[in-house]
Amino acid sequence: MQQTAVLELTNLRKIIKGKEIVKGVNLTLYPSQIFGFLGPNGAGKTTTIRMIVGLIKPTEGSVSICGYSVAHDFVKAMSNVGCIIESPDMYKYLTGMENLLQYAAMDKTISQQRIKDVVEMVGLQHRLNDKVGTYSLGMRQRLGIAQAILSRPKLLILDEPTNGLDPAGMTEFRNLIRKLAYEEGMTVFVSSHLLLEIQQMCDIVSIIKQGRVIKTVNVQDILHDTQIEWQLSDPERAILLLAEHWNIVATQLKKNTISADISQHPLDKINEFFIREGIALTYCSTKQNTLEDLFLDLTEGDQIV
Amino acid sequence: MFSLIENEVIKMISKKRLMFVLAILVVLISIFAYGQNQTLVRTKAQLSQRMGITATDDWRKLADQQLIDMKNRLDSPYMDEKSKSSSRVRMEQLQYNLDNNINPLEQSAAKFTTKFMEQAIFLFLPLLIIMLSADMVSGESSNGTIKLLLVRNVPRWKILLSKYLTLVILEVLIVFLAFVLSAIISGFFFGFGGWQAPVATGFKVLAGKLDSSSVLNVPQWQYSLMVYSLGFFVAFVVGSISFMISILVKSTAASIGIIMSTLVAGNFISFFLSDWKITRYMFMVNLRLTDYLSGSFQPIEGMNMLFSITILLGWAIASTIISFVYFTKQDILV
Ligand SMILES: Nc1ncnc2c1ncn2[C@@H]1O[C@H](COP(=O)(O)OP(=O)(O)OP(=O)(O)O)[C@@H](O)[C@H]1O
Ligand SMILES: [Mg+2]
Repeated sequence: MQQTAVLELTNLRKIIKGKEIVKGVNLTLYPSQIFGFLGPNGAGKTTTIRMIVGLIKPTEGSVSICGYSVAHDFVKAMSNVGCIIESPDMYKYLTGMENLLQYAAMDKTISQQRIKDVVEMVGLQHRLNDKVGTYSLGMRQRLGIAQAILSRPKLLILDEPTNGLDPAGMTEFRNLIRKLAYEEGMTVFVSSHLLLEIQQMCDIVSIIKQGRVIKTVNVQDILHDTQIEWQLSDPERAILLLAEHWNIVATQLKKNTISADISQHPLDKINEFFIREGIALTYCSTKQNTLEDLFLDLTEGDQIV
Repeated sequence: MFSLIENEVIKMISKKRLMFVLAILVVLISIFAYGQNQTLVRTKAQLSQRMGITATDDWRKLADQQLIDMKNRLDSPYMDEKSKSSSRVRMEQLQYNLDNNINPLEQSAAKFTTKFMEQAIFLFLPLLIIMLSADMVSGESSNGTIKLLLVRNVPRWKILLSKYLTLVILEVLIVFLAFVLSAIISGFFFGFGGWQAPVATGFKVLAGKLDSSSVLNVPQWQYSLMVYSLGFFVAFVVGSISFMISILVKSTAASIGIIMSTLVAGNFISFFLSDWKITRYMFMVNLRLTDYLSGSFQPIEGMNMLFSITILLGWAIASTIISFVYFTKQDILV
């Protein structure tokens, strides 16, 4: 099925004061995708986002949102966007509610009921009538998220959104994002330098380094990881059996531990097989940190530029 | 557009800056009225003592005395030429008052109200406007909220226009309140009347001499209205300039600093650099518009009402154009 892209970046470049900060980023996102923009500090994530929302003009390349060019059709393009950029800056001298009302006043489609719903979604109903100046960072972050999703945007852009959230807040936030993406069909663009956060939440991840996207991966692919570790009673025999019956090449890691890439073979069947063969299985695990390896491999040894 | 302006007004009120400005206005008017009252009492006492009269109501005698005082001062060798010619102009006015039976000493709420704006127009009123306008944009730049406004489905020029119109509304409000507050506060000191009293206007200064050929009397209320209209015009011009600076400079402190020091420098310039022709094109030395009405002497020769208004209008238009062009093009990196 040919869907229209929600966000399309074409060869996006930005030079600030003679320094090339974003060096040709291409990206296409479709509805209901959660996209992670992962990169170390100073990689150019925020700069890219600023170009997407039209805060700064690209030196070269173009941004289009739901088919509308940000450069030429700014109003229509931005009608589809909600965002937090860099930090959730709000009017400190207004209350949370007044901040949201300021936002709502600029968009007639937002109803009082919608404001109420969103406030409950982010769990801020108890402090809504306090001045934002008295909020903690996490609370401001929540208000920022509320503000960003208020107009039911097709594209939600969040720059470092979990900064300052407590663990419970993180989980809530992840659930909220999933709900928005999978139930309401929003496309969510999350930037972060925190790998775990991206890994737990996103479908697609681009890794950006020094202004260049160096890799785009589907998280499902690498997380349904096929690298398995077993701790068992007879490693030598297990390696032999794997090779004979499953055509899997395994290596011995430690005294009782072997590791293998099982690719398409079902893990439960292999484990059953071991037990039938009389090999006692004490522990079996998937190696979870492939994305981290990838990230570290790709960004290793870099200074912040 | 209306809701954008409403947003701006809500912000302005919540920031408490507006209340602060109004409080300053009230305090200053009160002090000024009290001071005027004291001066009046003292002048009367002095004159009656010197002249040995008790009936200070006889203003004609006082006016005569003032004329003599001034004449004496004029003969003093310590007075420079400029103050001399300005004194001469004042004396001619006083003479005119005597001839037309206009009591220059008598105070009234109407007179005070007019005088307040005449005194406020070149420094105090601009300062109040600056306090409101200098952080309209830079304030949002320094706390990052400008991003909230500029990533919405509203074009940038509309955001800026809503701010600009809000500023104009505030200028009207401030000038209007200055009028109402000074009329009320001074009323307690001098009585609430005087609005019908005739005021002489239409003075022209020709070669350092007061030319009263086109002088005519208008009722005080009409004169006041003219003075406050000029006050609003000055507020508008200064507001536009400081609005522009608040766009060009990202920090509120810097923005207020720049425009205030410019303004204060203007007051120095008009006294110390008045021979330097180019200074007349600066907006700061053209703010004393009301002096053209009252016939007070201008520090820089060759300037008249039309000239000053043209210069000020030029500044306002240029600032507004620069504001809009820069704001709609600039990269927001905060
Ligand atoms: N106003 C500016 N002037 C000059 N250079 C800038 C400016 N803003 C950002 N940069 C540079 O651009 C590069 C990328 O900055 P950016 O804020 O996009 O990084 P980021 O990926 O968002 O990093 P972080 O994870 O720390 O938020 C940095 O090297 C930074 O020094
Ligand atoms: Mg950033």
